[in-house]
Amino acid sequence: MNRASLHFLLAALVAIALPLFMRSGTLASEVLIFAMAAAACNLLLGYTGLLSFGQGIFFGLGSYAAGLTLLHTSLPLGVALVLAAIAGAVVATGVGWLSIRRQGVYFVMLTLAFSQFFYFLAYTFKDITGGDNGLLNIPRPAIGPFSLGDSWAYYAFVAMLFLIVFAALQRVASSTFGCTLLAVRDNEERARAIGFPVRNFKITAFAISGAVTGLAGALHALLIGVAPLSNIEYHMSESILIMTIIGGSGNLFASVLGAGFYVIVSDLLSSIWPRWLLLLGGLLIVVALFMQKGLWGLIERLVVALPMGRRSAIKSPIESPIQPESEGRGI
Amino acid sequence: MSTQAPILATEKLGVRYGSFLALSDVTLSIKSNTIHSVIGPNGAGKTTLFHALTGRVRASSGRITLNGQDITHVSDDKRVPLGIARSFQVTSLFQNLSVRENLRLAAQGRTPLQALAPWRGVDPRSQALAVADEVMERLELTHVSDRAAGELSHGQQRRLEVGMAVAAKPRLILLDEPTSGMGIDDVEAMKALIRDLGRDHTVLFIEHNMGIVMNISDTVTVMRAGRVLVEGPPAVVRDDPEVRRAYLGNMITGDLA
Repeated sequence: MNRASLHFLLAALVAIALPLFMRSGTLASEVLIFAMAAAACNLLLGYTGLLSFGQGIFFGLGSYAAGLTLLHTSLPLGVALVLAAIAGAVVATGVGWLSIRRQGVYFVMLTLAFSQFFYFLAYTFKDITGGDNGLLNIPRPAIGPFSLGDSWAYYAFVAMLFLIVFAALQRVASSTFGCTLLAVRDNEERARAIGFPVRNFKITAFAISGAVTGLAGALHALLIGVAPLSNIEYHMSESILIMTIIGGSGNLFASVLGAGFYVIVSDLLSSIWPRWLLLLGGLLIVVALFMQKGLWGLIERLVVALPMGRRSAIKSPIESPIQPESEGRGI
Repeated sequence: MSTQAPILATEKLGVRYGSFLALSDVTLSIKSNTIHSVIGPNGAGKTTLFHALTGRVRASSGRITLNGQDITHVSDDKRVPLGIARSFQVTSLFQNLSVRENLRLAAQGRTPLQALAPWRGVDPRSQALAVADEVMERLELTHVSDRAAGELSHGQQRRLEVGMAVAAKPRLILLDEPTSGMGIDDVEAMKALIRDLGRDHTVLFIEHNMGIVMNISDTVTVMRAGRVLVEGPPAVVRDDPEVRRAYLGNMITGDLA
């Protein structure tokens, strides 16, 4: 079995295992929704080497797009989701197009600025977005004969979409396009020198990432029946990034781990201690210092350490963790 | 040979970095299917000339034409499909990717838009892979094809660096100090390789090793302080008094073929 099908199998196992071990269908759905968002973030961070603080924009816009469609029109759920993905992709294309004009720190700052910009935009246009209160009472219509009213029924729907999206992202990552992204990440200057229009590749990566993140945002709004302002807040970008980094930027399944870990641990800790974010901060420091391949890297090490696992050390497609963007070497 | 139209020509090419004139009034004419070397002391503007020819640096003045087509304002990535490929003085590879993948990418770079389709898988029978295998064979890198480029020895990395240019199947191949930092055996192999490349490409290369320059070049251009000092066949250049002065007399000693 090759690596891609192994990872897909693992993702399917997660989708099946969540209902067995969790009591709340809402929390389980949340895990898979953020798994999509984190995997989309990983396409930019792990595969292209772009640290984007814009993910929250796409997530929030997806929430609003789906919410507005379902509140103001009688279009079916599927259309609302597609519109959310399109909204995410279009805005990501724009944000990407402008941000990749700069590299390194300035690129990151641009995505951060966009993140603030869209937050205040959502905050200002209260008539459309509901401002501070968010868009309330978003319905969750049935799909044909299937009602999604029950939280586990909705989970099944999300799980199905999750697996489709995961497979699609895997396809993207292993395509010639994905291979070229890895090359751009590794040495952008060389990629350009051998003829690749690097900008177009980065923008396309942004568009795909934005579409998936927008879809995730839409599913989230449907999950809680609200498109809250917090979905487009800077903090959302941060959370998605943290999930991606904790999971490990080496492969897409690592993002599923990261999202699951973040969502479940946050849920546990927040019921015990209101200042739980402090612990999460500590964990992030540990990851940054000692386990740069994230949870996935940790599991890899454990598998190798096991006597029976030694022969099948799983190699990640991306050998090294996130590197700093190649500093412009001379002119 | 000399009656042929030039494959690449520059006309009063100038490059300015801020107030520093790195290149001025460089008029060159590279004849098709020749081996043309550029020599000169450090800081003479050789690498800047390469940067300008490949489009990495924009010309501040003058014109560059490739097969009669004005490419002065064509961006660097778009010059590759037109038939220009280069190697770098400081090795610039995809360190984390395998040797084969490095070369596959370089071969793909001729038709980069094909790689922009996110649904298209890497076809094991693709032309790019075939080219990669062919180049590996030629550069004796086949036995390390699955190793990450960053793990290769220096000599192997330098060969791969040249291979990255070869894999693009360019008409004009620019090599920036292909032998820099190489051991003696590797230098001989590189010399043979460049001579070999000269049979089906036009080769323009920067080199400090006069043995190679004088031995395999059809034409030598000597640069100093951003300008062309002398140009001509090796024998003429070697005996030119200006050149001897630029090199403080005795550096040019290579044999003539």
